Amino acid sequence: MTGEDLALSGLDLPRRNGEIVFEAPWQSTVFALASAVVENALGGDREPFRQQLIAAIAADPARPYWESWTAALEAVVRAL
Amino acid sequence: MSDAHHHTAPVSPVERRVEALKDLLTERGLVPEGYIEEVTRRYESEIGPLNGAKVVARAWIDPAYRQRLLQDGTAGIGELGFGGAEGHHLVVVENTDAVHNVIVCTLCSCYPWPVLGLPPSWYKDPPYRARMVREPRVVLSEMGCDLPASTEVRVWDSSAEVRYLVLPQRPAGTDGLSEAELAALVTRDSMIGVATL
Repeated sequence: MTGEDLALSGLDLPRRNGEIVFEAPWQSTVFALASAVVENALGGDREPFRQQLIAAIAADPARPYWESWTAALEAVVRAL
Repeated sequence: MSDAHHHTAPVSPVERRVEALKDLLTERGLVPEGYIEEVTRRYESEIGPLNGAKVVARAWIDPAYRQRLLQDGTAGIGELGFGGAEGHHLVVVENTDAVHNVIVCTLCSCYPWPVLGLPPSWYKDPPYRARMVREPRVVLSEMGCDLPASTEVRVWDSSAEVRYLVLPQRPAGTDGLSEAELAALVTRDSMIGVATL
């Protein structure tokens, strides 16, 4: 059996299943930038970013998630 | 590029910071042309709970696959072509009449991306992260998932090394359905473990 057999009606299921992934373009941008740094500057090692994200969330638990993500990426980039 | 879309909407401080990061990283050659658009497209349209739903449906109809999947989640999920760079080590935990599993990441937002896409916003929120460990049955009930008192609830805390996926129980009365029809029944929340089917 191939993946084609399981092809469902396009994007219908993910949408029904959840909410939109990103609420604003800057959120998808900062997500992709972190991915670029991990892939192209850290040799695929996600741990430095993850540690900064944990620290950023802990430093300000009420801050919106993608803003903590941004702060974490800034910290990782400063250390590059 | 974005000039055509520049209206008078104010730019928030965080948007400015993200733009600065983008400029800096692009200058350093770390962001190839089209990279941001490609990553966004993949996560918005390709990588999502549908992948996980296919894994679950296959496990429901193929006992041998189910066994392989529970023994080695990474390999079992890889059989269907999912995994890759964000794969980490994937562990599939099976719901039964006796045990209900639910996943959380207490420290940040670790999540089985290759099979579920990006996490919903509540998964990243402090109340879910803290309370699901402390009082899972209460949180589950608040989310509309009431379990019999006799069912044991197991909470799995994701980490950098290990990501979990819940294999929900197959709903009764679905014997005649095809694999694709079964996959359509599987919700994201059931694979996080905050819902049953």
